Amino acid sequence: MTDVVKRGTTMRRRERLQGAGMDLALPYLLLAPAVLIVLAVLVYPLWDGLRASLMFYRYGKPLDFVGLDNYIQLWTDPQFLNSLWVTVRFVFFSVALETILGLALALFCLREFYGIRILRTILIIPMVITPVVVAIVFRLIYASDAGMLTAFSEAMGGGQVQILGDPLKAFTGLVVLDVWEWTPLMFLILLAGLQSLPQEPFEAARVDGAGPWRTFVDHTLPMLRPVLAIAIVLRTIDAFGTFDQVFVLTRGGPGEATRLLPILGYEMAFKFQQTGYAAALFVTIGLIILAFALFAVRMLKRAGPDT
Amino acid sequence: MSGVRYEGIEKRFEAFTALHALNLDIPDRTFLALLGPSGCGKTTALRILAGLETPTAGKVIIGDRDVTRLQPRDRDVAMVFQSYALYPHMTIADNIGYPLRIRNVDAATRAKKIAEVAQALEIDPLLDRHPRQLSGGQRQRVALARAIVRDPAAFLMDEPLSNLDARLRLSMRGEIKRLCHRLGATTIYVTHDQAEALTMADLVAVMRQGELQQLAPPADVYERPANRFVALFVGNPPMNVLRAEVSEQGIHVAGATVPIDGARHQRCLASAITELGIRPEDIRLAAPGSPGALSGEVYVVEPMGNETLVDVRFGDERVTLRAAKGFTAAIGSTLGVAFDAADACFFDSSGSTKVHRARNGEAG
Ligand SMILES: Nc1ncnc2c1ncn2[C@@H]1O[C@H](COP(=O)(O)OP(=O)(O)OP(=O)(O)O)[C@@H](O)[C@H]1O
Ligand SMILES: [Mg+2]
Repeated sequence: MTDVVKRGTTMRRRERLQGAGMDLALPYLLLAPAVLIVLAVLVYPLWDGLRASLMFYRYGKPLDFVGLDNYIQLWTDPQFLNSLWVTVRFVFFSVALETILGLALALFCLREFYGIRILRTILIIPMVITPVVVAIVFRLIYASDAGMLTAFSEAMGGGQVQILGDPLKAFTGLVVLDVWEWTPLMFLILLAGLQSLPQEPFEAARVDGAGPWRTFVDHTLPMLRPVLAIAIVLRTIDAFGTFDQVFVLTRGGPGEATRLLPILGYEMAFKFQQTGYAAALFVTIGLIILAFALFAVRMLKRAGPDT
Repeated sequence: MSGVRYEGIEKRFEAFTALHALNLDIPDRTFLALLGPSGCGKTTALRILAGLETPTAGKVIIGDRDVTRLQPRDRDVAMVFQSYALYPHMTIADNIGYPLRIRNVDAATRAKKIAEVAQALEIDPLLDRHPRQLSGGQRQRVALARAIVRDPAAFLMDEPLSNLDARLRLSMRGEIKRLCHRLGATTIYVTHDQAEALTMADLVAVMRQGELQQLAPPADVYERPANRFVALFVGNPPMNVLRAEVSEQGIHVAGATVPIDGARHQRCLASAITELGIRPEDIRLAAPGSPGALSGEVYVVEPMGNETLVDVRFGDERVTLRAAKGFTAAIGSTLGVAFDAADACFFDSSGSTKVHRARNGEAG
């Protein structure tokens, strides 16, 4: 009896809580903590960085508001332009190679054969190793005195292999490192993409007379395109921010051969104490990435079959 | 064009056997309907012929080539998939023209053929769309168009009309029949609709649980079913099957004794028959109590417009008969029915037909 009464009152209270006012406010209340955290750790630093990019600093203290001077200076700074060119080349070659290799591996691993699971697992390992560790390992491979390549070469009767000392070889070595580390990500995304494609169109293509190459060009690629595009965009954005590997492997050298934009920005900020200038540089990187992403999304939408 | 032969085709999926030693010989230019209930292995048989599935045992012959180990593209067959299998990223026109593009047919010829086929299947307004923007029935017709746009050794069609509305299905039925006739193509047409099989095919193969039950022209499948399963599967409403006993006096069925002619009587006596089958159109109304008439009560009366279906119950058994249009009777009222034993066929306890009907009666 009392039970029933009690249940009645709780129900009434709950009804009141669920009234129109609560319905409206509840989502915001639930979202509030997340919004506050995002504001604190994302929006505020971003805002502060934007502000810093408009200042002239010395010894870590803001001295002067200089408007867009930092940005204007950036585009005439040969160091920046060189780094931009190195970065674009690095991103292009790395992502292109990773895409091609990743797709090839994914196509290969799509087939079921004995040991395929173990193979798939092994292929993913490079991706899960900390970038710094990867760079250290590659340093050991490339090192001209005690590196693995040198050891090989000497065993074959050759001399020392100079990789990190030569601009082109160092750049290539960096691309190879990046490809080694990130092809697995491409592989993984593309394998998932391939596995989620419907099977019937491929059977129809076989009956219609398409060979493996025609099937790949006419069906696999077009159907995979959304996944492929997303993988490329993700990887490109990520590659633009490459820092750790270069820092450990070459520190941007020899000369400026591997000085990617993030390395340049780091040096500006912490070596030369040009905080405002570095901030402007990073904001510019951000804008470049944003522009690229918007462009890519636009392309995706336009080229997609949904028209 | 060439004939198609299945030689002892068996297909096992792990422990499950989908096809048991299937033997089918389909002469050149024949329209074969592969008829059977859901899950009996029709699609599997078709996929084996297309080369999408490898048989566990047996051989597939197209023309005079053993194609068992060949890739689908080397078999020169065109297939309509049960699930359409359209190319989602291509327009309808590109879908239909794809087999031609693979064969390097030039663009002008291709466009002409696409337009032709699209018109025949009433999908010409849809050519610029993508499959996603089509209804199920429209997609099905696109799949059909993609198959008939070329000139293969054999057409394989897996329930190509299952998703169309009744009107369209009827008209497409005729269109496909005409088309296959005109192309003179060997066609394997899978369906679970016995009306489609009877109306379209030169030969009907009835299957059940991976086993071929009967391979015969439609009229034979209808008039001389090889067993009880075929008798019940083919025909709408299906054949009536009643418990029957045979003695020196004749056939005892539902409390009446029906006379039967001498030769067939002897065969019935010799083969331990347990049941008889009689088509609804071979049963007529009769005065209750007249000699040879079965007397029962009306279970339900269903006017069909052009005729009336009447269900009559005898104890725990029931028969359906076709009566003239306008026939009425109260549910539960007593009704006498009669049939001629010459029109009946007789099954033994395993269900196989021991004595066929005496003459080829005219259906309908
Ligand atoms: N890949 C497979 N693995 C296991 N069993 C399968 C496989 N494909 C089909 N089967 C089984 O084989 C039997 C025949 O299947 P099939 O698709 O040929 O039937 P069907 O006659 O075409 O039926 P429906 O009229 O429903 O299309 C079914 O019982 C099905 O479950
Ligand atoms: Mg099927």
